[in-house]
Amino acid sequence: MTTQEQMSNAPDSAGSPAVTEHENLEGYNPRLDSLPMVRDVVEKAFSYRGDVTIVNRKGDAVEGYIFDRQAESSDTAQWILRMIIKDSTDRVTIRYEDIVTIHFTGKDPAAGKSFQTWLKKYQEKKAAGEKNIRIDPEPL
Amino acid sequence: MTAGRAARVVFQCAAIFLHSWPIKMRAGKELMGVPISQMWTVATYVLSQRLKGRKRYPLVLMLEPLFRCNLACAGCGKIQYPAHILKSQLTPEQCFDAVEQCGAPMVSIPGGEPLLHPQIKEIVEGLIARKKYIYLCTNALLLKQKIDLFKPSKYLTFSVHLDGQKEHHDFSVCREGGYEIAVEGIKEAVKRGFRVTTNTTLFDGADPASVRGFFDEMMQLGVEGMMLSPGYSYDKAPDQQHFLGRAKTRRLFSTILSNRDKKWRFNQSPLFLEFLMGKRSYACTPWGMPTYNVFGWQKPCYLLQDGYADTFSELLETTSWDHYGAESGNPRCANCMVHSGYEASAVNDTFGSLRGLLATARATLFGGSYVNREALEALQQPVENTRHHFIPLSVSAGKTTSAENQETRSASRANDAIKV
Repeated sequence: MTTQEQMSNAPDSAGSPAVTEHENLEGYNPRLDSLPMVRDVVEKAFSYRGDVTIVNRKGDAVEGYIFDRQAESSDTAQWILRMIIKDSTDRVTIRYEDIVTIHFTGKDPAAGKSFQTWLKKYQEKKAAGEKNIRIDPEPL
Repeated sequence: MTAGRAARVVFQCAAIFLHSWPIKMRAGKELMGVPISQMWTVATYVLSQRLKGRKRYPLVLMLEPLFRCNLACAGCGKIQYPAHILKSQLTPEQCFDAVEQCGAPMVSIPGGEPLLHPQIKEIVEGLIARKKYIYLCTNALLLKQKIDLFKPSKYLTFSVHLDGQKEHHDFSVCREGGYEIAVEGIKEAVKRGFRVTTNTTLFDGADPASVRGFFDEMMQLGVEGMMLSPGYSYDKAPDQQHFLGRAKTRRLFSTILSNRDKKWRFNQSPLFLEFLMGKRSYACTPWGMPTYNVFGWQKPCYLLQDGYADTFSELLETTSWDHYGAESGNPRCANCMVHSGYEASAVNDTFGSLRGLLATARATLFGGSYVNREALEALQQPVENTRHHFIPLSVSAGKTTSAENQETRSASRANDAIKV
């Protein structure tokens, strides 16, 4: 598949879902030279857990979180994405054909926070004699 | 017999069935974790929807007023957003509008942590005024501190997130001491006369004997009932290693829920629990528990994010429902057995046919302990996958704790053998 996740959740022989591997997309800034390429990158951006910056044909840039995309119509002029602009409640709708670049400018908020990371952190802190060990959410 | 007449027959049976419960209750036998009035509301709602011929109708609105949380659980796929999204929240008016659009008789308020919402009091009061049965899903870290904001009501339940016994829970939520704070919150809420349930998510490596010990602990705390669900493999969750496949889910829940202690009460459809145990098959009902949050109406369900609709009608009309559910072949649904997709299926089964109603009655009144020798033997076995239960913490915590835990688990297993 062409999205961020090289994913297959079909059950394996042991009855466990296969693992979703997240690409490291932070800073990704691909060259977009066709509408199918735009569609592929929008899919990655839609699955991405951080903000992206989009530049349109007029040269205007907008940074925010993509929460919706619609690219099922046979009429490619209908393909759109919806974004909540960073530090605002405003929403914008952007047509795929107006997109020149999509830059993954925001931080991936989930990267590196697996149970393995937590366990490693726990063991280190325990060895150092700390109590009430925990992972706190990052300050907003 | 027409569909309408069949539905009326079922309705009458349901009425007789439901009205028989208070007698049992007066006799001192607590048979279920859901009050009669709530059961009655749900039953009449479901049957009225069927009488109206509605193919798709919601049962529980999953109202996420914010994504912000005071925990950072590795298995959670709900809070992985940029700061500006985490800071945003629904207004009470947006919440009420969503409730009116949806029309479901029950509203679950997950998140994020709803007690972090500065207007949670107004939201809850507004929903109670609309006679919605609310499940306020909380990790309870702030419950004791904020409990004065609320008044006990049959419409309000604190559904406290606890993923098992102390060390299981603390490991699961990545916070030492989280269990004790939550238990203090539960005790305070129970003492003040609030309805309190627990909700528990189980991952690969869960220790069935410990989960059963956890049920005993929760019953001793006086909670009304318990809710269970297998974890879902959220695409956005930081941890992708510990989600259960369907075969493992059935094995795990069969081991946990067979040979059941009569004292345990579950705030869930008994048929859904049988589904988790592998005794029933259901198709997914993704519209049964629709989700509304700061982005809008989530397509198609609480777990998957394939985009958003601006209205509930648009959600129903524009979602390609055939593309979802294990039966659709969608790989993202292949391993899902989560309540948000399948409990509505079980409830529809209960109130959609005489057979379903009788199965529910049998499970509730006579189902009892689900005696299963294989499950009992499985309880005595060591847990195969220890990646998610408390052994990793115990090992790092030192030999004493590890030994104590092993003793506790052995005792719990021995106790299970005695009970059966």
